[in-house]
Amino acid sequence: MSALTMPLPGTARALRLELKRNAVPYLLPLLAAVFYFNTLRTADGFPPVWTLRASVISAHMLFEFSAFAGGLAAWAGSREGRRKTLDLVATTSRAAWARLSIALAGTLCWLLLAFLAGVALLYGRTAFQATWGGPPLWPVFVGAAGVTVVSVIGFACGVFFPGRFTAPLVAIGTLLLYQAGMHAAQSLEPGQAAYALLSPADAPPIVDAGIYHHVPPDRAVVQVMLMAGIAVGLLGALGLAPDLRRLATARSLASVRGAFARGDSWLLRTIAVVLITCGAGMAATAVSLAGTAQPDTIAGGWEIPALHSSAVDRSLPAAQACTSLNVAGSAFQVCVHKAFSFDLKEVAAALKPVIAEIAGLPGAPVGASEVASISGGQTVTSGMAGHPPVFTFTADRVGLMFGQFLGMPDPAAWRAGFQMGLLDAFLTSQPGAGHPAGPTRSGAAQQAVENALLTAVGTSPSELGGGQMLNGRPNAATSAAISAATRRFLALSASARRAWLAAHLSALRAGTITPAQIP
Amino acid sequence: MTTTEVLKPPAAPAGSMRPISAGIRLTWLHLRTRRVPAGLLALAVCGALLRAALHWHWTFNSGPYAQQVPMIIEAGAAAVIAVTVHTPFGETEGSAGRYLPYLRLLAAIGLTGLAILALQLGAVGENLNEGVTVLARTVVGFTGLGLLCSLITGGLLAWTLPMGYMTFCQYALLEAWTAPWTWPVRPAADHGAWICSCAVFAAGLSLFTILGPRSRLSDNS
Repeated sequence: MSALTMPLPGTARALRLELKRNAVPYLLPLLAAVFYFNTLRTADGFPPVWTLRASVISAHMLFEFSAFAGGLAAWAGSREGRRKTLDLVATTSRAAWARLSIALAGTLCWLLLAFLAGVALLYGRTAFQATWGGPPLWPVFVGAAGVTVVSVIGFACGVFFPGRFTAPLVAIGTLLLYQAGMHAAQSLEPGQAAYALLSPADAPPIVDAGIYHHVPPDRAVVQVMLMAGIAVGLLGALGLAPDLRRLATARSLASVRGAFARGDSWLLRTIAVVLITCGAGMAATAVSLAGTAQPDTIAGGWEIPALHSSAVDRSLPAAQACTSLNVAGSAFQVCVHKAFSFDLKEVAAALKPVIAEIAGLPGAPVGASEVASISGGQTVTSGMAGHPPVFTFTADRVGLMFGQFLGMPDPAAWRAGFQMGLLDAFLTSQPGAGHPAGPTRSGAAQQAVENALLTAVGTSPSELGGGQMLNGRPNAATSAAISAATRRFLALSASARRAWLAAHLSALRAGTITPAQIP
Repeated sequence: MTTTEVLKPPAAPAGSMRPISAGIRLTWLHLRTRRVPAGLLALAVCGALLRAALHWHWTFNSGPYAQQVPMIIEAGAAAVIAVTVHTPFGETEGSAGRYLPYLRLLAAIGLTGLAILALQLGAVGENLNEGVTVLARTVVGFTGLGLLCSLITGGLLAWTLPMGYMTFCQYALLEAWTAPWTWPVRPAADHGAWICSCAVFAAGLSLFTILGPRSRLSDNS
């Protein structure tokens, strides 16, 4: 007898039958369509940065998989009860636990296969587009654990409460739990009990997460621990399913004793109880660990002291991509992290005309460099740093704009954001400030000069409101004075503007010049 | 449940039963075989869930996120209705009863109305984003999808299409889609969304009434 014609062992044959007859494959086209719209399109809207793209696994993919995994597992689990074959299959030689485990394994195999195929597609597309880094694995572990635990919950519900309404109600319950967890996780503030961290659903991380610092796996570890604990505990409960069913129908103490006297062996029951205990222990440990979480003072987010490794706190080696601009005979270097090198040309092109206007003036930057958006747990904004000064900005904030590297929905506004960020820093910050600082909102004269310089390079100040440097909304008289000063300054020749700025830049930065004093 | 439990012998000879009571009995038997009483309980659970979600703020109060949880519960109510269309008797019932299409129509419309009522009662006194008109429109549309799905998958798996479409609509909600066929994410004043939702319901209801759900004596999967 050849290996191909040799009959499979009983369990493998039962699993093959289960895989063949399972309902999941029939619903894969629907799941694929939802995956394309909800997960893949959302990921495509993000820049090709690994951590950011991977965040859709728990934020979107797990959501759609939860609905189907919970419902379809409940459908598979309720099979015997739904078909009224409980008494019939109870006479088979195989233990109820083994029978149920095969049905669960078949459903889980299909769901995990679909999940991993989705992850492979997501990561494959990202691999072709990303310019730095590699695929993070913890989001995949969390997602796989999520699919598994939802399947086991659904299956257990199907076994214990068989009926036609079980599957849809489990699907809804799972989604509601997911949404409630996401709401709690997004509303979490420092100082609160951090149990919401156990929810795998959360908002996308900042755009440069995982680029300058490692993403601590603490949160993912407790999430996997909780979900594994629940899954193991419920798997143990499935081992006691026949006994629990008999117990539910037992009407007296003698019947209860009888219920336990029949059925599977004591060894199986002992294993089931051990599994339930282990699962409950794991889940309880995860909950207690999550309660000790504290804000991460290095890279932002949360850390769990008992799980936190100091190796994670070390910064990742800087990997910059730079381009050099030749402006007025001198070189101006623009650098971004390699992960954002796809935007380098656009950043340089946006900054070049403004640099040409201010090159050579006192305190004018000699370069522009992107830095980490979180430093010491604090948000970093754009500004001037070092000596000679360099315009520093982050992937998350440039001037008053947020999420510049998340995408370019409006190229004109995107370009204006960089130009205004640079002029804000140049016109308000003292050179050589030492560390990045946000633009200090100040006077109307600075605003008028900025508006004029922007207009001179072809950018409309109204792209971003034209009043971002002012403290609050200006009154009509101030607005009129700014507009008049802008027009006067713009009417000057480029050399006259440079000459006036060279002479009055210190006073302008100090805020001692009024719009009326602008020529 | 078996046919023996449901189809008890009549208490009196058929000839002596008044037509009105026979009609009521037929309707009751039809509803019982579809587990409609349990379905009503499930709809009440959906209403209670909506109330709990709004009362304890399981979701955001405003903005696109505010519509997410109500939409899940509305899809759940529609899924419950879709599941009730399953018949345990298969083709036998169709060949024996000429009133079956009317009973299907009555059950589907009645349950849709009751689902809207249950969810509306759940939202009374709470701040439901976009109000009950959008709630009703969403339930009607999702129910239409569920009825359409039952023609292909049978009643027991008819919950999958409303659930899948709801999952897609969560994406459409956050991306602010404006197409009228994404009716769950459109404001109450969008006439196109009303037309799409009602058209889907009408198509689902009419096809379901005429053809009935796909049925097999034993669910094979």
